[in-house]
Amino acid sequence: MFNLPTENIGGQELFVLEFGDIVNYFSPYTAALFAFALIFTALAIVSRPERQVDIAFGGDAYYAKEVDVDLLRFQRFMAIACGLATLGAMVSGDVFNFTLFASLVGITNIGIVAAYKNKHVLNAAFQYGIVAMLATVPLFGGAAIILASTGTLSMWELFADGVVVPIIAKAFLVIGVMGEGMAPFYVAKAEITRAQGAPFILMVHVSSLLLFLRVIEIVISM
Amino acid sequence: MAIPPYTLGLLVAVAGLIIGFMAIVRERDDLHRILLTDLAEVLALVLIALVATDLAEALILPGLVVGISELMAVSEVYIAKEGLRKPPAKPAFRIEIMDSAPGILALILVAYGIVLSGFTGGVVAAVGAVFYFMCRDHAERFELIETVSGYAWAIWIGAFFIFMFLPGYWLFGVMMAGGAILLKVMAKMSLVGTMRGGSNV
Repeated sequence: MFNLPTENIGGQELFVLEFGDIVNYFSPYTAALFAFALIFTALAIVSRPERQVDIAFGGDAYYAKEVDVDLLRFQRFMAIACGLATLGAMVSGDVFNFTLFASLVGITNIGIVAAYKNKHVLNAAFQYGIVAMLATVPLFGGAAIILASTGTLSMWELFADGVVVPIIAKAFLVIGVMGEGMAPFYVAKAEITRAQGAPFILMVHVSSLLLFLRVIEIVISM
Repeated sequence: MAIPPYTLGLLVAVAGLIIGFMAIVRERDDLHRILLTDLAEVLALVLIALVATDLAEALILPGLVVGISELMAVSEVYIAKEGLRKPPAKPAFRIEIMDSAPGILALILVAYGIVLSGFTGGVVAAVGAVFYFMCRDHAERFELIETVSGYAWAIWIGAFFIFMFLPGYWLFGVMMAGGAILLKVMAKMSLVGTMRGGSNV
């Protein structure tokens, strides 16, 4: 019934999940990304960093870190939510759904990086949040221009040969995803990696990496 | 040569975007930057709205929701960053009748509101709740209102599922939706009663 019209990068679809006219799909490429996101979501669920220790440099001593359990629980929740949003973005077969999932990843990333009491970290998280908010403009703008110029948002139609998507819309999509998934480039990261709940920071990296890989598949196939 | 309306709209939106982004670059005050960012996000909605089809109309709502939730997240970060949580404040004035009356009056109004149900009932019940919260200390019940409002929303959605999947039980669905709307309107309006100033406002 369904036939993915591109073999550029994604390969043929393996499995199709149909919600009305929104048709999610797993190709070998997106299935691999989905599996990655699934593994790291599972890691965020099972990791228990409540008893974090620091090694004293140059000796064999270590000291226990003081961990705020409430903040850590919030951070775990955000990390799991981020994983779920990433899962959605990986298999979405609709450009607008993809942009919504991407901005969801942006929101949860703000949540993960903001769960600290440190003033510098909060300051940086605020700046990052502003960028993530601004990034929704090109993200939704790109989707809107695609809709205006081709009349559809379904990737099944857009990936076909005859459909021409304006380069500006593609550029907007990429810029938007860059803004939403900017957390890994975020200056206070070194501070965060040493702070409590470091395993959950991993989710920030994984989600934005996977988002980049997926948006490149979309842009090349369109 | 006439310019197509879509192109014209796009030009206006792009001009607005340029102005908005320049303002954000020049602005130094963090609070003002949040507001300007929100303004720029509205232009994303304008870009969607320019398409002017039913589909675009359907896409505006999720776009708006995502924008607002990001705005709320950033605002929370701002509040935490600036340490703006206020210490509890004393109520402005205190008279004896404010201790005795609210319980009875609120009970009557809420009970009558439940009989009316729907929007009207919500408003009547809310008047009772507003009065109650204005007179009594509301610090902890604020959380309760949020919880009730959340449950009401879930019930409302549940009613929609009944309409969709079990249309035979429409009366049950109507009753559920009516009760939930009552709770929802009441919860929203009773927030007015907590505006006297206090630890949560």
